[in-house]
Amino acid sequence: MKTIIIILAFFTITATNAQSSYEKGMTKAFELWGDKNPDEAINLFERIAKAEKENWLPYYYAAQVHIITTFSIKDAEAIESRLKKAQDYLNEAKTYASDNAEILIMEALLNTAYVAYNPSVYGMTLSAKVEQLYQKAKVLEPKNPRATLYHAEWKMGGAKFFGKDPKAFCPEIEKAILYFENESHDIPFYPKWGKDQVKRVQENCKG
Amino acid sequence: MKLALTIAFITILFSANAQTSITGNVTDASGIPIEGANVYLDGTYDGGSSDTNGTFSFSTSETGPQTLLVSFLSFETYTIVIDVSAMNNLKITLREDVNSLGSVVLNAGTFSAGDNSKASVLSPLDIVTTAGAAGDYIGAFQTLPGTSTVAEDGRLFVRGGDANETNIYIDGLRVFQPFAATTNNIPTRGRFSPFLFKGTNFSTGGYSAEYGDALSSVLLLNTIDEPDQEKTDLSFISVGLGLGNTQKWKKNSLSINAFYLNLKPYQEIISQRVDWKKPYESLSGEAVYRHTFEKGLLKVYGGLNYSEFDLVQEDINTPEGVNFGLKNRNLYLNTSYKGSLGNDWTITTGTSFANDHNDIKIVNTNVDNNENSFHFKLKLRKRFSNRFKLNFGAEQYVGTFSEHVSVPDSDPFKSSFDNNSTAAFTEANVFFSKKLAMQIGVRGVHNTLLDYTKISPRASLAYKTSSKSQISLAYGDFYQAPQQDVLKYNETLEPEKSSHYIFNYLYQNNRRTFRAEAYYKSYEELVKFDTDRPEFTSLYTNNGRGYAAGLDIFWRDNKSIKNLEYWASYSYLDTKRDYRNYPNKATPNFAAKHNLSLVTKYWIEDWKSLMSATYNFASGRPYNNPNQSVFQNEKTKTYNSINFSWAYLISQQKILYFSVSNVLGFDNVFNYQYANTPNVDGNFSRRAITPNADRFFIVGFFWTISDNKTDNQLDNL
Repeated sequence: MKTIIIILAFFTITATNAQSSYEKGMTKAFELWGDKNPDEAINLFERIAKAEKENWLPYYYAAQVHIITTFSIKDAEAIESRLKKAQDYLNEAKTYASDNAEILIMEALLNTAYVAYNPSVYGMTLSAKVEQLYQKAKVLEPKNPRATLYHAEWKMGGAKFFGKDPKAFCPEIEKAILYFENESHDIPFYPKWGKDQVKRVQENCKG
Repeated sequence: MKLALTIAFITILFSANAQTSITGNVTDASGIPIEGANVYLDGTYDGGSSDTNGTFSFSTSETGPQTLLVSFLSFETYTIVIDVSAMNNLKITLREDVNSLGSVVLNAGTFSAGDNSKASVLSPLDIVTTAGAAGDYIGAFQTLPGTSTVAEDGRLFVRGGDANETNIYIDGLRVFQPFAATTNNIPTRGRFSPFLFKGTNFSTGGYSAEYGDALSSVLLLNTIDEPDQEKTDLSFISVGLGLGNTQKWKKNSLSINAFYLNLKPYQEIISQRVDWKKPYESLSGEAVYRHTFEKGLLKVYGGLNYSEFDLVQEDINTPEGVNFGLKNRNLYLNTSYKGSLGNDWTITTGTSFANDHNDIKIVNTNVDNNENSFHFKLKLRKRFSNRFKLNFGAEQYVGTFSEHVSVPDSDPFKSSFDNNSTAAFTEANVFFSKKLAMQIGVRGVHNTLLDYTKISPRASLAYKTSSKSQISLAYGDFYQAPQQDVLKYNETLEPEKSSHYIFNYLYQNNRRTFRAEAYYKSYEELVKFDTDRPEFTSLYTNNGRGYAAGLDIFWRDNKSIKNLEYWASYSYLDTKRDYRNYPNKATPNFAAKHNLSLVTKYWIEDWKSLMSATYNFASGRPYNNPNQSVFQNEKTKTYNSINFSWAYLISQQKILYFSVSNVLGFDNVFNYQYANTPNVDGNFSRRAITPNADRFFIVGFFWTISDNKTDNQLDNL
């Protein structure tokens, strides 16, 4: 009996060890990113992804850090190589989670980054793709707040470009706010970012 | 027992928590430290990033042999399997990833368009928004250096070669009749709608061993793999109507597309120099089906085109003019499969088939001809590493041609031939480093009609001289069987031969591109005959020869002026050849010495308009004046044309389009036709060959209907 308890105890210890190292690693990676250390964060996400196997989340975040980083750099070669790497990470993520709305939203952001970086080359070719990705994400999760918010922002950009009123999409933002409030997930580190971006997007609804 | 177990567990727990430290240093091949490399033990959480000195250090509880990985952007991932205890003071040198951005590109002779190519000089959109191209896929390529402006023809004339020296391929398979059927001095257009393609490679020389039977150039068109969305496209143009629809399913997609063209209403408004009995009318339909397999992609393309016209052309020898009528029917099928076979092997295979039927009437002579052509290709590629790849494959061409000519009061004349050939090729692609790359290949071909076997070597080399510039060299031998007009009378000739020597310099920096290419091309074994045109009774030889040498300059700048993109091309061409019925070596009529194109595109945000203007200039073209003793000794005046187009985006899905060619109405002369016999004064009188109309106008409305409101047809214009 005692032996069994010891054995059980042993397995519990190792199990909690494994659990906590994933959580510790992920938490640490987010900290690194928060501390303006994006490349170390990416490296850690990549290590976790390789060690975890079959978990799409670390790949997803590694891609996100690369994508967000390109918004603040100017060097064309660095932007393109980061976006290329981000797509590689998302492709990996997709092999463990097919038809995942969050990955599609991230892919839409990735393509938006290409358009933002060089509109004359990528604007025409990738715009339809971005739209398609948001639509597909919304079919999978009609109440996904990020899909709702960023799709609205994308459409506002298009409306502004064609001299139309971007306010037409403001009700979508209201919906996104509601969806953010109701969002809950059991899986640790499941994407739940974006709520703090609502204000920025809502700027288009003023005046 | 209990105690023993407890001790055992404690030992395991203890040893599992014992830490070993792993240290080392990461540099690139030249010893410069790499900061930010990811160093870790495979399958564990243990790892770290290298610091500014390239140094890394972390600890692990793992023991025994482990896999250490070192990865960094634009470098190949480094792997080593050793005992953890030996992972101390490691000296790690990362190799550059030759597939990454900034690597040298084998580009001598080639212009790429499309966002998948590193040496891209044109984007897919450029091809269709170039003023003067008027939606013709070929039009944009005529603004690139290395091509000659031959506005009355419409096809590609590359580096002193005539239009037959350029072959066109779709997804690696030959297109046998890429241009709409036409007659002398009525410019043709490409048969394919531009929206089918995602990328193109236009090689003006020194191309890969995969392609043969072209002396000067190949144009490689790649169709899109997967359409973006389901949609319906409607086009209303001053000269016709178009309808397209795309449907998508999980693994399949189907696009269909139909176009009806009729120049009658247009020609009733705008006066023409040609007397059209029946203006150009055509109906075409295309369908593309794509199916995605787990490890590959199948594409099936089918196009059917029917066109008809009848006109009377001016002729110096026939005061009432020459009546020419044509009915053409063309069917083209192209099926290709590309897939992975595992273990870094890929397969590309496919077939293309064309049936072309012409019913021609010249005054009262009737010519009926029918041509069936078939192409099969199988290509395998093995990637041994990022640095060494091998391609090899084989192809088979089968062609049958038959013609029936009937003239009143004489026996009908029939001719036919079967032109079959088999070819095999292999090519190796070697990257010595990110800076130096080489491609070397060889092609062998056997033709059963003319019974010849030829081996042609191909090689190219590229070296990166700085982070922004590179130089490349290319060499190749090229063979091409004589054209149909000769083959129907003679089956003993040798193929014509050319050799290319190319030196290229490329500079790319921040959306600016400068490209200069110098070349020398020799022609041998060109076909000659002793009559005005190829005839049954002509005497044919392979005694013709010639050369072309020149310099092509290309400059593109998308950066300096906001919302303005432009490119400029200049070609200098020095060429002479003795071929066909030439009495001696001379410069052909299609080869102007200087060609210049300036293409500009300006986006006016407030007007939601893309304004595009193109200027073409060509120095005088040589022509033969029989009143003079020297052959091809005179030159026409220079050619000038300014084309303009305006695309107005009414909304995201509706576009209004307007274009006009030769806005300023320059009087251009392409050539002169001289009388066969001298007049009373003993002189040969002449007639200038000029465009059929000074200007060509297009007004169009394009409407895309889809759930997705951002797509439009700007990329079809």
